[in-house]
Amino acid sequence: MPDPAKRELRILRYQPGVDAAPAFGTFWVENAENLSVLEALQSIKDTLDGSLAFRWSCRMAVCGSCGMMINGAPKLACSTLLRDLPPGPVTVEPLNNFPIERDLVISVGGFVKKIESIYPYIIPKEPRTIAQGPYLQTPAQLAAYESFSDCINCMLCYAACPQFGENPDFIGPGAMALLQRYNGDSRDAGRQKRLDAIHGEDGVWSCTAVGICSEVCPKSVDPANAVNQNKTNSAFDFFLRFLRKE
Amino acid sequence: MNESRPYRRPQPGNWWAKPPYRAYTARELSGVAVAIYGGVLFAGLVSLARGPENWAGYVGFLKSPTSLALHVLLLAAVVYHVITWFQTLPKTMPKLIVNGEAVPAKKITGLATLLAGATSLALVLVVLGVTR
Amino acid sequence: MSGPARDNPRSISPIFWLLFGAGGMVSALFGPALILITGLLAPTGTGIPESFLSYDHALAFARNPIGKLVLLAVIALFFWHGAERLFLTLKDMKAGPSLVLKLGTYGVAAAVTLATIGLLLAIGF
Repeated sequence: MPDPAKRELRILRYQPGVDAAPAFGTFWVENAENLSVLEALQSIKDTLDGSLAFRWSCRMAVCGSCGMMINGAPKLACSTLLRDLPPGPVTVEPLNNFPIERDLVISVGGFVKKIESIYPYIIPKEPRTIAQGPYLQTPAQLAAYESFSDCINCMLCYAACPQFGENPDFIGPGAMALLQRYNGDSRDAGRQKRLDAIHGEDGVWSCTAVGICSEVCPKSVDPANAVNQNKTNSAFDFFLRFLRKE
Repeated sequence: MNESRPYRRPQPGNWWAKPPYRAYTARELSGVAVAIYGGVLFAGLVSLARGPENWAGYVGFLKSPTSLALHVLLLAAVVYHVITWFQTLPKTMPKLIVNGEAVPAKKITGLATLLAGATSLALVLVVLGVTR
Repeated sequence: MSGPARDNPRSISPIFWLLFGAGGMVSALFGPALILITGLLAPTGTGIPESFLSYDHALAFARNPIGKLVLLAVIALFFWHGAERLFLTLKDMKAGPSLVLKLGTYGVAAAVTLATIGLLLAIGF
């Protein structure tokens, strides 16, 4: 007879060098009114099994560290409360589509490389000296890219993307949101460089507009918009490059 | 002891048949109905080029219950295509900024779907009017 | 050419994607009306007279230069639209080698496009 004051968590465990393949382990935690999945994992680590590995930092959905599959859907563990999940066992797995380092910890190296590849900084039209003052921007110019700057690099969108699941080299939704954050910025002049970086099969053309990336985004960044508007940009660039003056 | 030995879990081969991806697969296949209707028109063009007797056979097919049922199915699939096409439309556009604020995607979808309803209705009315 | 351009060849997908997009837009704006007219209203004689589907009427439409353009645009673009979507879905389903899938989808659309141009020219002006 299950104890109603307790909640069952089924966690996918993997210890490299020891386990041939990941397998589920079951834990019962003391339930509480506002217990998040992250807090449940912390209580397991503190009281039941100190070897459980998972990433976390801020506990308030701004650091993007605690992304994991909860009942099969990519979510931030810190902002997912046990009481909001259907009764019964809660399944916790590392993010889909990424190599598992250990337990709930996945490899992020590929994602970081992708971010580096799209020039993730403002490339100014004309450099200004401090004496010339700041680069000015109107509210409308800010609105053009602001939502894309809300990305916290949690990679939930990659776990939701079946094309990334098929092709790990696909640039993917998160990096494209960051690309659009800079390409949409009125102070930036790096648009062509970035379009050249994503015009290949592993760039924007691996996307088939599935759209689930935007649905799972905890920050409403709408990465599917970033990818697909750049499909349009890349398609026009394909033909207009012949007219372009270098 | 510090070396990384990551474990790779392959994506299940039938992901496209499972939620939440099932709706995407249905959306894509509704676009195939567009090509099937293109095929019906192409068959008509072939019959037309072969002469009056062949054309009569084609018109006979169009009047058959099979063809009518096929076209009802095609109409349903293409209407689904129209709805999902305009749901996807805002994703392929730059953000529309009006008075310093981004226009919500739902509004763009709604307006475009209305426009598509109007163009289709206009075409039907024009044909009905011209052929009277 | 510097390194990145060599390591990162440009995809030719934009060609197919724009044809897919054009077909998607034309079918979204006029598809339901076309199916209703040629597939349901005209064959059942609902609001449209018998003569609409007569050989002479159809031939006159296909001989008119504007009629030719409409037929080519609708048939070819509808095929390219379906081809793109079917190719990507079959690829998702891992239904076969990429080359076979491409021939069965883009290949068919290209063949139908050429055949339509040929037929419209053969029908004359």
